[in-house]
Parts: sequence; structure tokens; C-alpha cells
Amino acid sequence: MSDLSDPWIGFWLPIALLCLTIGFWLTDRKDSRRKISAVTFFVSILVIVLFGAETRGGDSSETALLAVLLHMIVPVSLMAIGTLIATFSGPSPVGPLPRGLRPLGFMMAISGLVWIGLMLMSEPPDAIANGIGETIWGAWVNVFLSVLVLVSALAGSFCIMMGDERNKEATTLAMLTIAGGWMFYEIMQNGSEGLEASGWHEIHWEQMMFLVGGLIGSIVAFMAFIGLVYMAEKRAPDPDVVSPLTEEEKAVVDAVLRLNLELEGSEND
Amino acid sequence: MTEQRESWWGPVALLMLLLAISMDLFVWQVSGGVEFSSIVERILLGFTLAFGITSFALLVVSIGAIHRHVRWKEQVVGLFLLAGLGLSLSNWQMNGSWDAMRSEGVMLFSGITAALAAVGLVFGLLLALVTGREHVPDPLLDMESTGGDVSVELDD
Repeated sequence: MSDLSDPWIGFWLPIALLCLTIGFWLTDRKDSRRKISAVTFFVSILVIVLFGAETRGGDSSETALLAVLLHMIVPVSLMAIGTLIATFSGPSPVGPLPRGLRPLGFMMAISGLVWIGLMLMSEPPDAIANGIGETIWGAWVNVFLSVLVLVSALAGSFCIMMGDERNKEATTLAMLTIAGGWMFYEIMQNGSEGLEASGWHEIHWEQMMFLVGGLIGSIVAFMAFIGLVYMAEKRAPDPDVVSPLTEEEKAVVDAVLRLNLELEGSEND
Repeated sequence: MTEQRESWWGPVALLMLLLAISMDLFVWQVSGGVEFSSIVERILLGFTLAFGITSFALLVVSIGAIHRHVRWKEQVVGLFLLAGLGLSLSNWQMNGSWDAMRSEGVMLFSGITAALAAVGLVFGLLLALVTGREHVPDPLLDMESTGGDVSVELDD
């Protein structure tokens, strides 16, 4: 069990195993690998949980990441569950939840964002207060706020461009942009509890730029993958020419067609 | 009106670009600036590492999903070479330190989860708002199907 405290075995191996699980899950329903995908998934999660339990925040960057994700799980869950409740309690035909739950859903989604704002105003826990934990948490918040501002501005302007008086949608998304922008302004101008503004600037120029490059790198890797699949399919030989039906096969097809047409005729009568 | 709808992405992309540049300029102004070469260095490091890790992840997914009808050789060998290239380059950029690569890889995961949370919140709210729109009842939706039987009355 002591090997589980090694990040290569306790964190990166299960991550690779999760990728393998996705591959297994993509196979045919009758394939045996499809059936063991659930097992490999749970084993991977179990190993990561054991790794997190065996190590402490300052031990390694992987443990610090798990600590950050653990701290963010409540606000992110609030946002996810809130938007789902708001969607499925609406007036659409796919809304099986009571209509009265809709305001609660919106409140839960917004309270997730407020929660993150409150985290910036309160003293962070030990696991994310110093060293690599602080950097990872800072990068998480910085990316979250930047993407929130950009994507909500994109979605809001998209609503306006599409017309049909989508004013309510555009206004809500504009408010989200302003809230995210204000939080971004505050941390960059005045810093947050436990992390000064200079620390946020360093995180922005070092980690944010690294992640911008990472985003481009991931997109290029996906495009290269599509290119490889295209090359493989293009090099595939043409399928053999199918020989015409024999007289015997034609008779079978004819009989099947006649049978079906007669059945259809009798049903219509 | 049709032309305006076709070109919606142009102004929207420009707005996003302007916002991103404005946020960076604001941080530039309050932080007192930073060496441009260090920004490029960080972007290049992120690019190579993410390229290597994503190619490796796609390689493992491809190996897991191989079946007899797939033309796997090009896919697997190609992804193996791409992953090797990306990871070797980032290892070289980090002076051969695997620990540094681990830390930066963790940072990529942190960024991915944060970006996914933000995108999920925005599009989740947008979906909830769009599906909550009240429409004027459409009489066509109340009509019943005739199962294909149509009678046409011709006026003389």
C-alpha cells in the first residue's frame, strides 16, 4: 500500500487507466471490454482516493490538486445541480420537476459563484494556503473567472445577435460577465485573503499563459488525431465490387417482397 | 436579416478577443508589466506539454477501443510518435526534470477543471433560460396525424 503514495502509481497510472476505460466503453455493446470498463473506472477512482488519503497537501502537486478539487466540489456541485433543477423545472415538455423549484435552481447556481467569491474573502485552508497548493488554487480561480467572463460575454452577445427578443437571457449573462469581471478586478487590484495582488499577477503571467498554450496544444493534438484517422481511412482499399444477384437470389427477394406487399394490402383492407 | 445571422460569429469573436486583451492589459497595468519573452516561453511550454499529454491520452483511448474493422496502425503509430515528440520536447524544455513535468501536468488538470466548471455554469444557465421561454401555442402542434391518408377537394 505504501507504493500508492508515489504519484506515478497513485495518480498518473489511474489517469491513464481512466483513458483506457473510455476506450473500453467506446467498444461494441457485446464486446467483453465494454463490461469491464465499469471495473477499471471504479479501480482508478479508488486508487486516486487512496492516494489522496495517504498523502498530505504539501507532499506533492498531485495531492495539492486533489485538495483544491475537494474544496471546489461544493460550489461546482451547487452550480451543476442548480442549473439542472432550473432546466428540468421549466415550462418545456422535458420538465418533470415542479415549477416552484425553478427559482431555487437559479439561486443554487448563483450561490455557487457567490461561494467562490466568499472563498476569496476568507482565510484559505492549510492545504491550499501555501506553496504549490496556493499556486494551483490561484490558477483554478484565475482560469475560472477569465473563462466565465469570456464565455458568458460570448453567450450573451450570441443571444442578442440571434434576435427574437432574448433580452432576459442576454441580461442574465451580462450580469454574470460583470460579476466575474468584478471578482477578477478585485483580486488583481487588491488581492485576496491570504494572497496579495502581486501573487495573483505572478499566477496570471506564469500559469494563465501556460494554460493558454496548453489550450492551443490540446486543440492541435485533436486536429492531428483527426488528420491521422483521415489518412488511415483515405488509404483504406476500395470495397470489392458486389456481384449481381443470381436467379435463385432474385427469386427469394421477389418472394419476400410479394409476401410483405400482400400482408400490407390485407392490413389496409 | 439572413446575412446578419450568417455573420454572427465575426463580431462575437472580435468581442471575445477584445475582452481577453483588455483583461491582460489591465493585469499588465496593475502588475507593472512582465518580460514578453517569458510569456512566449510559458505559452510554448504549455503547448508542447498539453500536445504530448493529449496525444498520449488519445493513444491510450485508441488502444482501448481497437477492433477488427478499424485501421489502427496509422492511428496508434502516429499518436505514439506525436506523444513521444510532445513529451520529449517538454522534457527538454524543463531540463530533463520529470518532477517539473508532473507539476506542470497537474496545472493543466487544474486549468481544465476550472474551464469546464465555468463553461458548464454559463451554458447550464443559458439552457435553463432558453428552455424556460413561453411560446404562443402553435395550432399545427395540436393537429392529429392522418397516417398518410389525405383527401383533396378540388374546386371546379
